[in-house]
Amino acid sequence: MSASAFPAGAAPKVPERHIRMTTDLHPARARTAARIGPVAADPYPWPYDGSVEAARTALICIDWQVDFCGPGGYVDRMGYDLALTRAGLPATAAMLAHAREIGMLVVHTREGHAPDLSDLPANKRWRSKRIGAEIGSAGPAGRILVRGEPGWEIVPEVAPVPGEVLVDKPGKGAFYATNLDLVLRTHGITHIVLTGITTDVCVHTTMREANDRGYECLVLSDCTGATDPGNHDAALHMVTMQGGVFGAVATSTAVIEGTSA
Amino acid sequence: MRTVPADPYPFTFDPASTALVIIDMQRDFVEPGGFGETLGNDVSWLQAVVPPLKKVLETARAVGLTVVHTREGHVPDLSDCPPAKLNRGEPSLRIGEPGPKGRILVRGEYGHDIIDELAPAPGELVIDKPGKGSFHGTSFGAELAARGITSLVVTGVTTEVCVHTTVREANDRGYECLVLSDCVGSYFPEFQRVGLAMIAAQGGIFGWVAPSQAFLTALTGADDTVPTDAAPVPQEVAP
Repeated sequence: MSASAFPAGAAPKVPERHIRMTTDLHPARARTAARIGPVAADPYPWPYDGSVEAARTALICIDWQVDFCGPGGYVDRMGYDLALTRAGLPATAAMLAHAREIGMLVVHTREGHAPDLSDLPANKRWRSKRIGAEIGSAGPAGRILVRGEPGWEIVPEVAPVPGEVLVDKPGKGAFYATNLDLVLRTHGITHIVLTGITTDVCVHTTMREANDRGYECLVLSDCTGATDPGNHDAALHMVTMQGGVFGAVATSTAVIEGTSA
Repeated sequence: MRTVPADPYPFTFDPASTALVIIDMQRDFVEPGGFGETLGNDVSWLQAVVPPLKKVLETARAVGLTVVHTREGHVPDLSDCPPAKLNRGEPSLRIGEPGPKGRILVRGEYGHDIIDELAPAPGELVIDKPGKGSFHGTSFGAELAARGITSLVVTGVTTEVCVHTTVREANDRGYECLVLSDCVGSYFPEFQRVGLAMIAAQGGIFGWVAPSQAFLTALTGADDTVPTDAAPVPQEVAP
């Protein structure tokens, strides 16, 4: 008979909920007294549990890269109006300053591929070529969507500062094939505030992934943008349906006003 | 290979490496008197999906396509239900509480199971998922890999929630996804429209969209592979 993992007589109780979050903050992180919530949001005052320590909340800034919102980048080259993807930059810069001040975990993501394109799915490459902006090809801001190139860098308005988390992702979602989930759980994060571009593609995919993993999510309407304004509006509207199927929507101003020191 | 006229451009697939994925056609979402209708939704929009999807399923079975069904739900002690999902928005009916067709979104309950018209046949894969996406917290990806599946024909409900989340997950993982426009449904016609548009936007950023008849024509038609390694036709015959 094999040795039991439990002492004799001590039968295991109800299994631990595998979605249970880390209860301690990462030792390297400073804790402030700041709390976020309730924040005026749609369709419910965020978060669902009333309020949350700023230290347990991550501000995730998605793909504010030259390729998506800078001159000569991927989106510019596809012929879209850059003003649409740049619209959220001022509010995001203000939200970043607030997050740093109150001790939120700040995470920046970058979509891109290894220089040898070994992590680029064949269909993604083929489609990008088809619309005239092949990933890996030379563009005005270096090789398109390749790590280390100028176009892949985050724009200066919302650039990371030392100590902030950087997540490099090969897809639209920031959780797939990255260490984001591990980093968030290690830091004791239970709640996520999202900014970035584009609303309907990478922001939405990441919010859906986070929601399925049990994180309570808030997306900031003034800190996002899309290549198609209709898709931006529809993506935000989708979040608010069915009682908040993926979380809630608010403005950065509402978050700042909903923070108590 | 087979080719389907699709948006934003033709979708090519090999039936041997393609799966029909039917998402969450569960009684609680689709049937009158279920959880979805209790929340104030008009289920007639989802009911409209059933006849064309039934035809696609029957044809897929007839030609031997891999068929996968998914169901959203939680284990009876709700240990796989995140607190935010359980408590968000002060729902009138909470997951796990008694509903018109059994405990809401709980595995094994009548309302959690797939509607009779589309009931899984023996041998068909059924994936139980705790979230909106079919990949997170399930064996879906491993099951597809084990079967050599690289292309997904995606159907089911609802278009902008579970169908979209699954297609986004699949796309990041390198799968080719064709969404059948009349075999996916939303409680909200506007989300049906924009949900399909988002998939095909920017040169097919998440995949392709086509009506089911276009897919069925390709599936039951002749192989349209152009041989690339065939011997060239001799231009002159040597004496």
